[in-house]
Amino acid sequence: MLPERLPEDLVTKMNEIVEDCMGDAPPYCEATCPLHIDVQGYVKLIGEGEYKKALDLIRETTPFPGILGRVCAHPCEEKCKREEIDNALSVKNLKRFVADKCDDPKDWDLNVKEESEKKVAIIGSGPAGALAAYDLRKMGHQVTIFEALPVVGGMLRVGIPEYRLPHNVIDKEYSILEKLGVDIKLNTKVGEDISFKKLEEDYDAIFIGVGAHKSFILPIEGSDLAGVQPGVDILRKAGLEKHDKVEIGERVLVIGGGNVAMDVARTAWREGAKEVHIACVESRDQMPAHSWEIDDALEEEITLHDGWGPMKINGEDKVESITLKKCTQVFDQDGSFNPAYDVCNLKDIEVDNVIFAIGQSSEADFLAGDDSIELMRGNKIKVDPVTLQTTKEKVFAGGDGAGRPLLAIEAMAHGRKVATSIDRYLKGENLYENRDYEGTYQSWLKKELAEDEPRRERISIKMLPVDERRGNFKEVEFAYTPSEARGEALRCLECQCKLCMQECEMLNDFCISPKDLFKDIIKGEVAPLIHYSCNMCSQCTIVCPHEFELKNHFMEMRKLLVKNNDGKSPMKGHNAIEWHQKLGFSGIFTTTVGASKDKEGA
Amino acid sequence: MGKAKRVFIPGCSLSSYNPDLVEKTLEHLQNKLPGTGAILKCCGKPTKALGQYDKFKERYSQLQEDIDNLGAEEIIVACQSCYLTMSASSPKQKVTSLWELLPKIGLPEEMVGIAKGSDITFAVHDSCSTRDRKDIHDGIRWIIRELGYKIEEPKSTKEKTRCCGFGGMVVPANPELAQRVMKRRTSEVKSDYMVTYCAACRASMVQGGKNAVHILDLIFGGLWTSESDFPTLPKTPISGWVNRYKCKKKIVKVLS
Repeated sequence: MLPERLPEDLVTKMNEIVEDCMGDAPPYCEATCPLHIDVQGYVKLIGEGEYKKALDLIRETTPFPGILGRVCAHPCEEKCKREEIDNALSVKNLKRFVADKCDDPKDWDLNVKEESEKKVAIIGSGPAGALAAYDLRKMGHQVTIFEALPVVGGMLRVGIPEYRLPHNVIDKEYSILEKLGVDIKLNTKVGEDISFKKLEEDYDAIFIGVGAHKSFILPIEGSDLAGVQPGVDILRKAGLEKHDKVEIGERVLVIGGGNVAMDVARTAWREGAKEVHIACVESRDQMPAHSWEIDDALEEEITLHDGWGPMKINGEDKVESITLKKCTQVFDQDGSFNPAYDVCNLKDIEVDNVIFAIGQSSEADFLAGDDSIELMRGNKIKVDPVTLQTTKEKVFAGGDGAGRPLLAIEAMAHGRKVATSIDRYLKGENLYENRDYEGTYQSWLKKELAEDEPRRERISIKMLPVDERRGNFKEVEFAYTPSEARGEALRCLECQCKLCMQECEMLNDFCISPKDLFKDIIKGEVAPLIHYSCNMCSQCTIVCPHEFELKNHFMEMRKLLVKNNDGKSPMKGHNAIEWHQKLGFSGIFTTTVGASKDKEGA
Repeated sequence: MGKAKRVFIPGCSLSSYNPDLVEKTLEHLQNKLPGTGAILKCCGKPTKALGQYDKFKERYSQLQEDIDNLGAEEIIVACQSCYLTMSASSPKQKVTSLWELLPKIGLPEEMVGIAKGSDITFAVHDSCSTRDRKDIHDGIRWIIRELGYKIEEPKSTKEKTRCCGFGGMVVPANPELAQRVMKRRTSEVKSDYMVTYCAACRASMVQGGKNAVHILDLIFGGLWTSESDFPTLPKTPISGWVNRYKCKKKIVKVLS
């Protein structure tokens, strides 16, 4: 009924809709989430009291809702539109709420695709390795994890203190790996207990997700004194062993301004240190640690020396004090990290321990001597940023061991990315296709806030009182109660465009948004009925941020349909209109009369 | 045929709905604006709406010939589709909506304040085709207030009004959809009574479950209360053609 090809100018105009319609634009939170969890979807379900359905929706994307519900740094919240009115939605805490409330291993989906007979080795059971193992196993591959420590979790367990992430939560959620059939070999350090070469021989692909477990120590005067400790060692001991075994003095100073430094300081305080200091070159607002992590540390009586860098550590054979120098510049004019100091402005603090938490390097010693896998600074493994493939075809790497330090959720996204790459590699498929939307991206949504959008303050979560935290690793944050969770969920602004879809009955009958409808129209894949179902009322246009005049396009399509149907509408029902119009112009029902003679007027 | 400075074109839907209203409107215009003639003929909008542009041009030219033969400089319309069609197709004539004109020439004096005691609140349904014409919206509200009825503004009103469901010739093509659109429009209104200024909109509001009148019913149809018999839908399509024929006779009579 339509010509093979639509007129070019019409197609050009319709393509503007296909290009710019925001009907498919994801909400900001979902686009920002490195795993693209359907935040809006599960928040809405929580608001409706459908807690189990909300959890199921989260579990479609990740098997770690309880872990992320506690430790996710929630980049989604930073992009939450509510932030412009009052405060971002408390997404992380809502996730924890449903995980705590209704996550039952009996309900877990343990389906696995048909066995591929391919074997994948994963080195490290941190967040990257765990999600890679989960995805690859679900895809039907045989997966073996090699973990150097006696426990699973990597930095989730030995980097994040237990007062933030209880070990039983890790154990519960990680148990899905073994339930799916992933083989986890604990206490197995690659390079010591098994050679990397052996893995290369025995496995079809390898993922190196070893993390970065070695603290940098600044080579300043006195840094070799007893009592100087690497920050991650403290966290590892606290995470692995009974907490009272961490040897720490009464007075401790932590060097570093990031999240790890905060965790180290708070761990030292729990391990019995009476006086805990943090010194960092950055001023408070420049510190890389999240603001809430700094707040939590300060609440635990920790003294912050922001804008102070270490000059020397003093003592005979063990640490007695540290001399700090005032920092006058952190970044130079080029924006590079290049601190400068005023060496006349010094202060001494008496301490028993100095702990470095200024960053970590990776330990991939097992690669020493293998020139085919290129390394970068800090022993980090060089990878293709799109595929996470190393310079050796069957070897992939991700997480902290393959670049900058990652948030837990970013590490998981790395795991997912690697799983996609390895799956394609094993199938001989193209590793590069369709990978634009992995990890955080920017949504093309443009949401205007209503001027009268009411303020609804964020519902804060309850915390363990400070005096009950000392000397133990009890969880500090509590979960929302159901009423708190529902109240918080209802704050969601449900960001999306689809404004036309809220107005138009007819569009809802035929499409998800004009974007997909016009794509189909251009392809010639829609029935004439659609073009003849538009009321031509312009309601779509007046709400459209792009002011697209859909009715004009439907009209152009009607004209084409008529042109190709002997000048008539192809709709059966329109026969009546044909007759109606003939009569409406016929002499029987028409007349033309001039003004009355006596009332011709002036 | 004679001549006329200006011509009143009531449109198809109004003349099919109620020839008496056309007659009384024409009488009123004659009184207030001597020199007014009239044409009863379709503007061809339905043809255009189906996409039959060639046929539309041919049909409209017949109407244009009638207008030009009268020598009319101004067209007064009572239908918003006529308003748009003629504004676009008769560049030589000035097209005026009856609803912007009435506040200028006034209502019949005896009707002013007639409804002061009426127990009815009318929800106003604006036509979507002239959603950007503030003077028309204002004129309609002026008329209702002048008569004395109370007004309810729907949530979507004036420039944000919603379609009655009749537009775009959807009814014959997709009747089930049209019925839903009608129902949705009436469901956002509290009052049981609605007033429109398009006869097709009026029928849609009735199909959506309301008592609905045309604004000319309020001006020329006496006092409306909850006791009144409200116009319903025509029982057969024939009645519309009978009305149009009556309309033709009445126009000739008024202007003789």
